[in-house]
Amino acid sequence: MTGLLVMVDIAGRRAAIPAAEVNSVIELEKVYPIPRAPDYVTGLSAMRSQSLTVVDCRKALGLQGESDAAERAPVVDIDGHLYALLVDAVDDVAEAQSEITAVAGGFGKNWQRVAHGMVETADGPALVIDVRCLIEGPPAVAA
Amino acid sequence: MMDDLLEDFVAETREMLEAIEGELVAWEAQPTDRARLDHIFRFVHTVKGNCGFFDFPRLEALSHAAESALAEVRSDRRHPDSRLVSAILAIIDRITLIVGAIEAGKEMPEGDDEFLIAALEADAIDVGETVAMQAAQRVSQSTENAPAAPRSIRLPVELLDRVMSGVSDMVLARNDLARRLRDAGSDPTIDGPFDRLSGILADVREAITKMRMQRIEHLFNAIPRLVRDVSSQLDKQVMVDFSGGEVELDREMIEVIRDPVTHLIRNAIDHGIEKPSVRLAAGKREIGMLAISARQSGNRIMIVISDDGAGLDTAAIGKKAVSSSLISQAELDAMSHDAITSLIFEPGFSTADQVSEISGRGVGMDVVRANIEKIGGSIKVSSNPGEGTMFYLQIPLTLSIISALTVSVAGQRFAIPQSYVEEIAHGAAGWVDFAQAGDTDLVTFRGSRIPCLTLNNILGVNPRAAGSDQRLVLLKLGKDDLFAISVDKIHDQEDLVIKPLAPAVMQSGIYAGTTLLDDGSPVLMLDIPSIGAQHGLVSDARQRPAQSAPSEPEITDKPSRTLMLFTAFDGRERAIGMELVARIDQVPGEAFSFTGADGQVVIDDTILPVARIAGDMNDMSGEQIRVLRLSDSDCELALPVSELGETVAITDNLTPANSDTDIEGTALIGGKPVPVIDGYQLFARYGQSGVAPADRLVCRLPQDDPWASRMLAPLVAAAGYRIAQSHDNHADVTIAMADDLDLLSTALSGEIITIHNDPDRTGTNDNSIYRYDRSGLVSALRGVSAGLGKVRNAGGGS
Repeated sequence: MTGLLVMVDIAGRRAAIPAAEVNSVIELEKVYPIPRAPDYVTGLSAMRSQSLTVVDCRKALGLQGESDAAERAPVVDIDGHLYALLVDAVDDVAEAQSEITAVAGGFGKNWQRVAHGMVETADGPALVIDVRCLIEGPPAVAA
Repeated sequence: MMDDLLEDFVAETREMLEAIEGELVAWEAQPTDRARLDHIFRFVHTVKGNCGFFDFPRLEALSHAAESALAEVRSDRRHPDSRLVSAILAIIDRITLIVGAIEAGKEMPEGDDEFLIAALEADAIDVGETVAMQAAQRVSQSTENAPAAPRSIRLPVELLDRVMSGVSDMVLARNDLARRLRDAGSDPTIDGPFDRLSGILADVREAITKMRMQRIEHLFNAIPRLVRDVSSQLDKQVMVDFSGGEVELDREMIEVIRDPVTHLIRNAIDHGIEKPSVRLAAGKREIGMLAISARQSGNRIMIVISDDGAGLDTAAIGKKAVSSSLISQAELDAMSHDAITSLIFEPGFSTADQVSEISGRGVGMDVVRANIEKIGGSIKVSSNPGEGTMFYLQIPLTLSIISALTVSVAGQRFAIPQSYVEEIAHGAAGWVDFAQAGDTDLVTFRGSRIPCLTLNNILGVNPRAAGSDQRLVLLKLGKDDLFAISVDKIHDQEDLVIKPLAPAVMQSGIYAGTTLLDDGSPVLMLDIPSIGAQHGLVSDARQRPAQSAPSEPEITDKPSRTLMLFTAFDGRERAIGMELVARIDQVPGEAFSFTGADGQVVIDDTILPVARIAGDMNDMSGEQIRVLRLSDSDCELALPVSELGETVAITDNLTPANSDTDIEGTALIGGKPVPVIDGYQLFARYGQSGVAPADRLVCRLPQDDPWASRMLAPLVAAAGYRIAQSHDNHADVTIAMADDLDLLSTALSGEIITIHNDPDRTGTNDNSIYRYDRSGLVSALRGVSAGLGKVRNAGGGS
């Protein structure tokens, strides 16, 4: 794979979102909570007179705790809805130096669901996130 | 109006022609291509359908002929040979010519349509020549028929979206600038231009909004004519009833649903509503009812098209579906009633055995569903045999303005669509009363208890019980589904642009959309029907279409009458029957004007006469005055009060007043005597169209019967009668209990209505009525007054 990746930290791990899928990276202003929305949906915010649904990536993965409040959040557009992704940190834009590859044994239960695969960058390997899967949130816990 | 429609028609036909031009060529090359054939078939079908609006017999004949021929091909009864293709193309060329002439407002082009139509016949001999002739004509005319300069332009909706979003950004930027200017302190050299900018921006914003929005009336307007034409062709009588014409939706959306709605209406008249003789035989009114209603519900519009016709014949539908191998018999046997009725939307399905000019061959339904689903909508049908059919169309308002009330709990704002809001009230108002039954909060409002949800509990934010420190929003879902939601604050009513929410948020089922307020903060719009349904507050939404008369609320034998207490301007407490109080308003003192004894007040742009009871009301400017709006369903009065009291239910009869005719009697409330105003005296004196009591017919009720005085008396009074007092010798009508023979024998004059405790003993023709048959009683009273009214008028003339 070639192309630019937006490098982010989620739950202390290095992850990457293909830059082509990222609408912009913004500084989130006030986030308004949505009562009764799924836990991983932090709330609504606004960007240039458009509503954003703010999603906490750590919770969307089904991991404990919540993302550290990073100053900036990548914004993606899925099916006409804008989502702001809360991550621990937005690092930089890096170039992919390898194809996306699978790793034998997978990436772990929570990560596997949202992973395209692994990619090498100048700073080491990173997990490429399938944002569409990520924003669907953790699967409902079977009773 | 008609010009608009015509323009639409021409523009639409042109667009379709452009779209199928390529298809025509492809079809010519490969006449067996089913998809192309369907496309062309839909075009001629739509043209034929649209001709129903206008008087274009030539277009109609041409398109009908082409449709018939293509239908045969579709059903494999005819092979699409090149002769047929040529003949169809010739007809489409002719349609193009005629449409061009309509657009230019010129004479119809010459030419023998009969010849073209004859060429479609399977045994037509020589078509080659026709087509050659046509082609030549086309070349010669296309040069001279250059389309006239357009009077309107068509813009891509995306462009409008971009402009709209740009303007929204401008508003936000202006708001930001306004804040900074305020912080920096006033500067007249900047404030002036800034205000001007704000004004212009507001205008532009409004204009942009209007560009996209259109009232659904625009669609409705064309329907009566369509219904008239279609029903007269079929010798049927159909009445159309519209509601919700003020609902606004995207212009584009109206265009998209125009065809489907037209199809559904044609189908309803053709297949649904029966001929008058059949209807009469089935015990229905000979005039069929077609009801079309639109309602905005969150970010969707629900359009219901219902008829009170024969309903869908599931047996026939099932049989047809099996015979046309849509489904197997085994599948059919396993299907539910609703699943079978939904088969009508399957492609290639049709129940009409006879080809009719009106709705064609059932092609409409699959096209209808395809068109609705293309825009993200849905269509459902429900039908009761013998009672009628209802089609539910749900369409999204991708971008729509909705009038909403903003409220807040726990400091966060939410929006409630104004269309559901009946009334708002302060929880501490004297006439609002909270109670609990089990865990359910109830609120007493206008004398009736209704369920009350707290927005806190709905949202799970600081759960609490409803209380008098909150505000109440009274919501109405269906005709009878009334409930209240208590909130911390009620802010504003504003027009909001609603955007869809992300699927994850929609899942919660309590939000219908989101919007940004002027300050840029996002606000969630509550999905009121869904909230009501989640809390079991919605009765079955499916109204029975055959039910023509609105169902009367059941009479419950509650042993009380509700009075509203208030303090008049003389400082004394009085009461008035709650049944007269239509609503309570607060108006500025300036809205009143008095000339001599007469007074008037302006409320909501209407002038109401002011009823003056006692005390000096002249010193009212600068104050907010509470006004009881009284209504006797005929005219309205405003009764200003100094202070509002509470509502009380009294069980004892009033003690009659001896001398004061303004007083109905005295009620004992909390150990104190409170005079009760005689509302009918008020209307007689101040009402503009009210009938003076002396002229009213007199009705005698059973004496000493508490049920009669509590339940019957208000009913009889509402029907325009004066209740006979003991000293009245004459009564125009006497209502007697069937077992009260004494009264029957002492009735001196007039009509007699007998009340039975046993429903089986009531006759159908005479005036004997079951105790709880409220509508029967009302109509009997009306009948009597109508009859006597004539007599009295005739007597007065002699």
